[in-house]
Amino acid sequence: MRFRGSKILLLLGVGLVLALAVAACGDDDEDAADDGAATTEVSDETTEEEGGGSIAGHYDFSGKSFTVGSKDFTEQLVLGQITLQALEAAGADVEDQIGLAGTVAAREALTSGAIDMYWEYTGTGWITHLGETEPIPDAREQYDAVAEADLEQNEVQWLEPAPANNTYALAISSEAQGELEVETISDIATLAEDNPDEATLCIGNEFSTRDDGLPGLEQAYEFEFPDDGISTMQEGIIYDAVDKSEECNFGEVFATDGRIEALDLAVVEDDKSFFPVYNPSLNVRADVVEETPELEELFAEIAEKLENETLQQLNAAVDVEGEAEEDVAENWLREEGFIE
Amino acid sequence: MLRMPFVARRLRYAGMPLFLGAVCLGLYLYISSLELDSIEQRTLNRPFIVEKLVEHIKLTAVSTALVILIAVPLGILLTRPFARRLTPPVIGIANIGQAVPSIGLLVLMAITIGFGFIYTVYALVAYSLLPILRNTMVGLQGVDRFLIEAGRGMGMSRARVLGQIELPLAVPVILAGVRTALVINVGTATLATFVNAGGLGFLIVNALALNRQPVLIVGSVLTAVLALLIDWLGGVVEDLLRPKGL
Repeated sequence: MRFRGSKILLLLGVGLVLALAVAACGDDDEDAADDGAATTEVSDETTEEEGGGSIAGHYDFSGKSFTVGSKDFTEQLVLGQITLQALEAAGADVEDQIGLAGTVAAREALTSGAIDMYWEYTGTGWITHLGETEPIPDAREQYDAVAEADLEQNEVQWLEPAPANNTYALAISSEAQGELEVETISDIATLAEDNPDEATLCIGNEFSTRDDGLPGLEQAYEFEFPDDGISTMQEGIIYDAVDKSEECNFGEVFATDGRIEALDLAVVEDDKSFFPVYNPSLNVRADVVEETPELEELFAEIAEKLENETLQQLNAAVDVEGEAEEDVAENWLREEGFIE
Repeated sequence: MLRMPFVARRLRYAGMPLFLGAVCLGLYLYISSLELDSIEQRTLNRPFIVEKLVEHIKLTAVSTALVILIAVPLGILLTRPFARRLTPPVIGIANIGQAVPSIGLLVLMAITIGFGFIYTVYALVAYSLLPILRNTMVGLQGVDRFLIEAGRGMGMSRARVLGQIELPLAVPVILAGVRTALVINVGTATLATFVNAGGLGFLIVNALALNRQPVLIVGSVLTAVLALLIDWLGGVVEDLLRPKGL
């Protein structure tokens, strides 16, 4: 009897834990839904009063449907949300496929027709998708080259690029910068010669083999980091590693990442302008643009506003403040007057 | 268990290495026939691949050796009558090690403790502790109680019963656990590249990020070949160590 009793108690316990877990998750969902409903109501009211933002006034995509995708890191999620909400503001029916697993997945989804558009970076399109190895230093020329080749070869249209440049950069913690007195990458070259123990570098896997990554950098600046000073790791944890300055003094970072400012990291100046440009541009399949040519104009207006500082702030709002991407995107579209 | 005829056993031993050798040869010929761009050349060259392969084998070998040193004695200890009460909590902890996503465990350790080889080995040990521990215990518990009693009745000490009756009879099950752990470690060691510990995962992650099929094929095929080869070695060792007459 005692045995059976304890078994029943155990089962009850398991059931209770499961029930609590489910209830907790459910609550989250409801909260999120409530938040969503609340913000929609607010925006609906303002829409009625002031007649909508610039998008609703100029574009009418009603009856059209689009599928928006993105890669899976913060900036991409925010850009995806901006795109989705802009299209919705124009009256289109939008399916959300934001947050696909990485560059290759997003690209495959675009070319196979599973999604209609996502934001890609000019340098990435050139090297990863078109298989080139030498980036083009001039931003405009790089854009023109990638746009022309991709349209011709794969019927992917690159809309007008944003001025933001999510390029590679080398960062160092502010304290370490004070100690080592390194302002430019040329200074790092000097450091690597005079004091190789301090010339330690954390990099991501890609960066170690790309022509526009470490091999090219070392060639352009004519120096080499000491072999045992280079640590290869997942890109996301580099910021933390640089901040601590234990594993490495320098780290490969992305120029528009919000954590650079949040962790008070300093970007080392690329004094020989080695790193190529990575302007985000909305990639849309050519047949989709053909059907709705106004897409070009709409996203040229949006892209124009996306400066480096803008993206840093938007990324930081998500990564540092912990806001939801959709709220960050919505607030930005509203501030810029695209929606009301 | 039925014994295979001698010749058939020889063939079985030779079959797998021959097959894996053929796979590697095919891979080599395929890659040699390609024109590699500069990004692919940086990874698909002999010194680099050998370096990654050696790192991978080291990670797997060291972590498996450590895990055997920890899990087998622990398993023996936990099956002794005086330690029965400790069994559930210890198995629970081993379960946690297995249940935590390996990539999460690795990155978490890297951020909190440190990067590199030794911390990756710790994570691999945590991750593969359970199969060996569990199999050691199951193997020992599966030994016929009458045999143990007979041994004791013949005047053998507890230690001799353990060494001459229980352990030999449990060896096949324990070794099956070791093989499982080895294969798990070969697979999980591909994640070491995320925390500065190298390994063949470097090729796989690099290829995925840059969309370079040849690099992806080399990375994945070599990992699979290594796993199969190690599992095959485990099988040979298992046959050699299995007590005669069993």
